[in-house]
Amino acid sequence: MNLAFKEIKKNKVRFLILGSIVFLVSLLTFIISGLANGLSQDNASLIKDLPEGQFYMNPEAEETYNLSRIDSGIQEKLINDYQGATALSIQMGFLNDQNDKQQSVVFVTSTESEIFSNVKEGEILLDRSMEEKGIKVGDRLTNPQFSGEFIVKGFVDQTKFSHAAVAFINMENYKEIYRVNDMQLVFIPKENAPEEITGLQSFSKQEFLKTIPSYKAEQMTLNMIVWFLVVISGMLFAIFFYMMNVQKIGLYGILKAIGLKTSRLFTMMWTQMIVITITSLALSIAISQGFNIIAPEGMPFSLTFNTTLILSGVFLVIGFIGTTIASLQIRKIEPLQAIQQGEI
Amino acid sequence: MSLFAINKVKKTFSNGELKEEILKGVDLTLREGEITALVGASGSGKSTLLTIAAGLQSASDGEVLFEGKNISAMNQEKIREIRAKEFGFIFQFAHLVPFLTVEEQLMLMLDVSETKLKKEQQKREVENILQLVGMEHRKQAYPSSLSGGEKQRVAIARAIIHKPKVLFADEPTASLDSKRSKDVMALIRDITKNLNITTLIVTHDEEMLSYADHIIKMSDGVIMQD
Repeated sequence: MNLAFKEIKKNKVRFLILGSIVFLVSLLTFIISGLANGLSQDNASLIKDLPEGQFYMNPEAEETYNLSRIDSGIQEKLINDYQGATALSIQMGFLNDQNDKQQSVVFVTSTESEIFSNVKEGEILLDRSMEEKGIKVGDRLTNPQFSGEFIVKGFVDQTKFSHAAVAFINMENYKEIYRVNDMQLVFIPKENAPEEITGLQSFSKQEFLKTIPSYKAEQMTLNMIVWFLVVISGMLFAIFFYMMNVQKIGLYGILKAIGLKTSRLFTMMWTQMIVITITSLALSIAISQGFNIIAPEGMPFSLTFNTTLILSGVFLVIGFIGTTIASLQIRKIEPLQAIQQGEI
Repeated sequence: MSLFAINKVKKTFSNGELKEEILKGVDLTLREGEITALVGASGSGKSTLLTIAAGLQSASDGEVLFEGKNISAMNQEKIREIRAKEFGFIFQFAHLVPFLTVEEQLMLMLDVSETKLKKEQQKREVENILQLVGMEHRKQAYPSSLSGGEKQRVAIARAIIHKPKVLFADEPTASLDSKRSKDVMALIRDITKNLNITTLIVTHDEEMLSYADHIIKMSDGVIMQD
């Protein structure tokens, strides 16, 4: 006889309330996590969405990418020696649209590459967020430092850097705007990347992200918010499951008195915890993933299925710990104690 | 060898430095198939003796022999097994499981006592016992919809459905009015006689003694009159 389900069936309201709490708290965590991750993507999706690999910059730049200059000779050698190696530059700037309105962008240019979008001279590829600002394919955009015009060739999804839209331009145009001949960085995909290159400082993707001004501080704050929420939600779960079971000490005592095995009581408690948590989390996941789709345009929200699964796993483990602590208490109950407590 | 005997059982409770001896070396042998009533004033130690006999708490000294084996020396799992398979309990309150129907309460007891009956046979057994206690019409009812007397009838059914060898009843009529008390006692007597169950009942109600075959009076932790 499955006592766990019998009790849930009889006490629907009680379990529904507990399930609602688990659902609401987990939904709150998922949504906040999605917003935090969205902000993080908004800050550095250009880099975060790259395949794993190593960035190299000039050590004299002291880990400030926009001060780095890679000597053209070294750049040439690296591109020839390592398959997939790409030299690139990233620089904040702005464009004037057809109505002469200034739009902040981040200009990105690179040598021929499969990883970064390449365009011909006079062409530009923009992050899709620029489409919402009224820019269309075929529009002509200008920059005071650029003698010509950029023709918009298309849009790329989710490509932002330092909360600004990325604009991919041709290397020659970039050199003209910023009056430079050398690129700032070299990126080599992980499978071909050497650990060290003489004369250059090497950074993994994560290390490079930390060199982006404000990224580290912003991430620390966001991560703190999310993990505090996870810890507090987790503790709430554990306390609720603990209280739910401790309130039933009388019942468990009677069941022990008539001879029910303690292991069966444990199974009953764990089953109820798992059923409530999984049902509530499933609903939370569905709604938060739905929100992922219907989130207002422009709201940085990014919640991967992987993140929800990790958070769900954390909640399940914490719920399990709360129930187990209660069950240890229940293991110690003397049936006599429960009988003497009076009618349950 | 008697089915159930208690030899020189002592029980001492400690409260800090204070030690109180509740049972002072009690000897008792239950007669097979008979109802033995333990009577005495409050604090005489009768309920403590019953709970020790039923394996619900341990004795400080002495032996509790069931079929010749000393259960007070057994580990908790072994005692649980004996409680589930060989003993039946009726408490002062019915202590039914609130989320199970009357039928499910009895099915659970059959499950706990690990009877070898098949599902269909179990259902038949439940029907028979419910008929015996006059509760067959309420088998789908939950405890919350039963009266005090009905609950105690279900508790009796639960205590005997697995055909225990010994039945322990601690003030089974204390929460009932006079008429229901008599009904319940008559029921316990009829069933235990029919099923040849050895019964130990604790009561302080003199009126209930007429249902017992054997009366033992306790006072101040010792048996005064056998």
